[in-house]
Amino acid sequence: MLSINNLKASIEGKAILNGINLDIKPGEVHAIMGPNGAGKSTLSSVLAGRSDYEVNDGSALFMGKDLLALSPEDRAREGLFLAFQYPVEIPGVSSTNFLKTAINEKRKYLGLDPMEATDFLKFMKLKMEEMEMDKSLTSRSLNEGFSGGEKKRNEVFQMAMLEPKLCIMDETDSGLDIDALRLVSAGVNKLRTPERSFLVITHYQRLLDYIVPDFVHVLYKGRIVKSGDASLAKELEVKGYDWIKQEVESAK
Amino acid sequence: MNLLDQIKSDFSAYAAQAEKDSFFETRNNAFLELEKCGLPTLKNEEWKYTSIRKISEGNFTQSCVSELDAKSLLEAGILNTIACNKLVFVNGCLFPELSVFLEEDADIVISSIANARKGNAAIITQHFGKYAAVEGQGMVAMNTALMSDGAFVYVPKGKKMKYPLMLTNITDATQHGIFQQPRNLIVIEESAHGSIIENYIAIGEHASFTNVVNEIFVDNNASLEHYKVQRAKGETYHNNFTQVFQNGNTNINQVTLSLDGQWIRNNLHFYMNGQNCNSLLYGLYITDGSQFVDNHSRVDHAMPNGYSDEKYKGILRDNSTAVFNGKIMVHVDAQKTNAYQRNMNILLSNDATVNTKPQLEIFADDVKCTHGATIGQLDEEPMFYLRSRGISELEARKLLLNAYAADIAEKIKIPELVQILEEEIERKL
Ligand SMILES: Nc1ncnc2c1ncn2[C@@H]1O[C@H](COP(=O)(O)OP(=O)(O)OP(=O)(O)O)[C@@H](O)[C@H]1O
Ligand SMILES: [Mg+2]
Repeated sequence: MLSINNLKASIEGKAILNGINLDIKPGEVHAIMGPNGAGKSTLSSVLAGRSDYEVNDGSALFMGKDLLALSPEDRAREGLFLAFQYPVEIPGVSSTNFLKTAINEKRKYLGLDPMEATDFLKFMKLKMEEMEMDKSLTSRSLNEGFSGGEKKRNEVFQMAMLEPKLCIMDETDSGLDIDALRLVSAGVNKLRTPERSFLVITHYQRLLDYIVPDFVHVLYKGRIVKSGDASLAKELEVKGYDWIKQEVESAK
Repeated sequence: MNLLDQIKSDFSAYAAQAEKDSFFETRNNAFLELEKCGLPTLKNEEWKYTSIRKISEGNFTQSCVSELDAKSLLEAGILNTIACNKLVFVNGCLFPELSVFLEEDADIVISSIANARKGNAAIITQHFGKYAAVEGQGMVAMNTALMSDGAFVYVPKGKKMKYPLMLTNITDATQHGIFQQPRNLIVIEESAHGSIIENYIAIGEHASFTNVVNEIFVDNNASLEHYKVQRAKGETYHNNFTQVFQNGNTNINQVTLSLDGQWIRNNLHFYMNGQNCNSLLYGLYITDGSQFVDNHSRVDHAMPNGYSDEKYKGILRDNSTAVFNGKIMVHVDAQKTNAYQRNMNILLSNDATVNTKPQLEIFADDVKCTHGATIGQLDEEPMFYLRSRGISELEARKLLLNAYAADIAEKIKIPELVQILEEEIERKL
């Protein structure tokens, strides 16, 4: 599904990603952990197509296509979804209108007719029930005045609506209370299919208790310096990152 | 012939046969004032960024003649779907076939000034020329001296207009350049309610100059909805001076939409002559090409407990230019005034220009006033967020600009007008 090869990226001349290699197959859940400033959000931004970053080397193939050559909107239409670490508030844009536009833009790209208004509303209602989303949120402007946790839940709700192939979740668990964490995790688990893959960025083992990953990677100074299975996350929870940092430094 | 010379020769022609005109003294005074102060130039502080060179060159014709028939006028886009009273003026002259009067209450008068001078002379004499002062205002003086016809709206004490008046002015410049000076008088008596849409459109290739004066009197406890929609396409020069004179406990909602036209100058003045006046001034300008739009406003808080809220927003493309100048005058007696003013601009190109100047002059001590202005681009963060959900750059821009315009649009209580705004944003992108 996604194959990242020696990806290097920088911002304002400062190198942030220093050669990322990562292979995600359909249906797999990968977790990325790593200390603050390691480059996790940068990786997700580069994959989603944020133009502030310059890609200096390497490649990323998504469903066999050159991902980095596509516009952000085409990446989304091809089935990539990024749940943002800090979703932006957009006053004056209604959540409903936004989602309808997004779905129909994707359908147009795929050569499908736009969804009828009534069908769309039915679909949205269904997804809201499935994700246990409150109506009071979707009837407001996009993220406007939402609490931190509400914003994160709205990201997962959008993910459910847009039915992507690959979901990148950047610290969706940060700032969630215990109940919201359960709801978000349950929502994600409902979205899991044998075809759909997840790249979950998190600082906490807690989330991975609910969404059990097939692989766990540690990102440090713009490189994946260690990979393992779900047990690696548990080990990090106990030992922190120092031992990995030391391993990396002594290998130099 | 340049404009000022033309005015002088027109005025002496008028004066020669004017002895029976009850307006003569007012008009003659205005003419003398015009001779004294002349037309504004860039040296005038209020016209610093606003050149009227093209206008003063003149070569326009004043003429009621239009080959247009009613049908083609309707097709020219007179907001047809709204249930409303209608008055249509073409090149400044009433087009009676298109007038519509829907009010059930026959005491409400909606007519041309020319016709109303026969039956409503007393009210007209009481108000005409009393609010739009000519002193130092060459454009107003020119209108008062040599006005064309215009609308007269009279809502007597306690009456309420059920439907808005769509006051459409059509410039027909298909044959030659056009000069017209519409003059509207609106009188809303005590506890009455009025609703007016000024709607400007234009057809034809030639240049035109439209110099409007509106005098609006709103008596105690009355209210007014007032919209101005400028959609006169082509080489149109449009100057509009509106003086609202409000007595106590009045509510006024005014929205100015400047969409089409080569050159637009709006002068919107409110004078609060009583306590507890409530005035809302909102505006949106969407410009492209080499359009020039200048919104000048002035709110005089002369009495205590007044509230005014002004917000003008602009979206500028290409090498278009906008000017905003808003003055809030809080007079010495106007304690407990709340006055707010903002001007915001989004530039969609590097060649667009904005000159903005909010002004506060406060002579009372117990007041709350804020003002501010911003000029910027569309924010990148929301843009990326929308695109990352599969929305194209163009659609994303449309969503964001409609959102930006939304707080102005929501002040418009007529859905069809809001619709026009959305279409306009779509068209200008
Ligand atoms: N616009 C920018 N200008 C300069 N440096 C930047 C910019 N954006 C990110 N960086 C730097 O890039 C590095 C990686 O940032 P990134 O946000 O990817 O980290 P992260 O792994 O997501 O951290 P966290 O766990 O705190 O979210 C940091 O050192 C950050 O300061
Ligand atoms: Mg991050």
